[in-house]
Amino acid sequence: MAQGEQIGIIGKGITIKGSLTGAGDLVVEGRVEGQIALKNHLTIESTGKVQADIRAEELTINGEASGNIDASSKVAINASARVAGDVKAPRVVIEDGAVFNGSIEMEVKLPDDI
Amino acid sequence: MATPAKEFAGGAGNTVIGPSILISGKLTGDEDLTVRGRVEGELTLTNTLIVEPSGVVKANVAVKNAIVSGVVVGNINATESVELTKEGRMVGDIHSPRVIIVDGASFRGRVDMGEVEPGRVPSERPARPLLRPAVRAVAPPKPAAPRPAEEKAKPAIKPVPPPPPPAARAEGKAPPAGAKPPVPPAPPLLAEAGKKKVVVKKKAK
Amino acid sequence: MANTVIGSSIVIDGEISGDEDLVIQGTVKGKISLKESLFVEGSGVVEADIETQNVEIAGRVTGNIVASDKVELKTDCRVVGDIKAPRILIADGASFKGNVDMDIKER
Repeated sequence: MAQGEQIGIIGKGITIKGSLTGAGDLVVEGRVEGQIALKNHLTIESTGKVQADIRAEELTINGEASGNIDASSKVAINASARVAGDVKAPRVVIEDGAVFNGSIEMEVKLPDDI
Repeated sequence: MATPAKEFAGGAGNTVIGPSILISGKLTGDEDLTVRGRVEGELTLTNTLIVEPSGVVKANVAVKNAIVSGVVVGNINATESVELTKEGRMVGDIHSPRVIIVDGASFRGRVDMGEVEPGRVPSERPARPLLRPAVRAVAPPKPAAPRPAEEKAKPAIKPVPPPPPPAARAEGKAPPAGAKPPVPPAPPLLAEAGKKKVVVKKKAK
Repeated sequence: MANTVIGSSIVIDGEISGDEDLVIQGTVKGKISLKESLFVEGSGVVEADIETQNVEIAGRVTGNIVASDKVELKTDCRVVGDIKAPRILIADGASFKGNVDMDIKER
């Protein structure tokens, strides 16, 4: 079960309340409320709605997400996404058209004389 | 008013702050501004601010559009859009209906995609550490029964008066030298021209 | 061609310093210190003390000017303030009020 290649899908009709953990990739097309902790890649499809604090390696959002996000590599908030929450990741991308309200925390290397 | 032709091509409607230039104080304008040097203080434009990779803006900014490829430390209010390109680095809060952050850009601060009043400079508050609990779970405590109008007027509104046309000012009125707002502490300037501030008042002609 | 241009709609209230040429078509109040040349064009309005190498003024300047090389007041300019520079040119048609100091100390 803990294989990295494993891909789980939470289909459109499914609602999960509670906490969700795992090691594989996960695609959410339905609803999740609670918490998500994933070792790999989480994708929230445009039909997906997630109200949860999320931890993952990488997160791609095309749908709705609210909650705090902590990703160890990257968060991509795509054009169709609506996201509210605080995002912490080394790389965060917001596409034109995306709706995002919240804070973003990346490492910012500033010049010394600022 | 024709000036003798010069070698520089001062393209109309575009202001460029060159790489060695430091401006500290308050800058307002109705044209695009390209920053390759450094601007500190407060910046209000009705058009687009472009911070090029060599540019550093350490200021609170109110603009229509901002394209950041350099460094911005401060808060940006943009009535249309803010884009951080792959070289852009910013610490501060963004308030704009469209915010684009490209892969490679780095950013720390808040993003608010609500509507923005033009010309309203974000408040002086520095980018604070982001140690808040979940999203909007807790609304900030409100005073008892605030009327909407009051509430709206509460955040540090700092309307920037539109720059008076230079011609009008030149017609003999002395500049309001006394009413000058304090300029934020400036770093050491390149030349130690430690002279007094502007003291010469324009005499009526 | 690292030209800095302060366009005609721009108003700066503060200090400008730098190592390159500066062209002012807008309004600058405060202080200007440059290691190169300053051009105040016809539309330019400067209410500032100026310290630079060269200045060419076609617009309006109110403030004291110290130039290490040359100050040139062009036709139609209006300058109020004291000028200190080794070389000072005042064109026919320029208007100027203030003191001129061409004291050449370090030569």
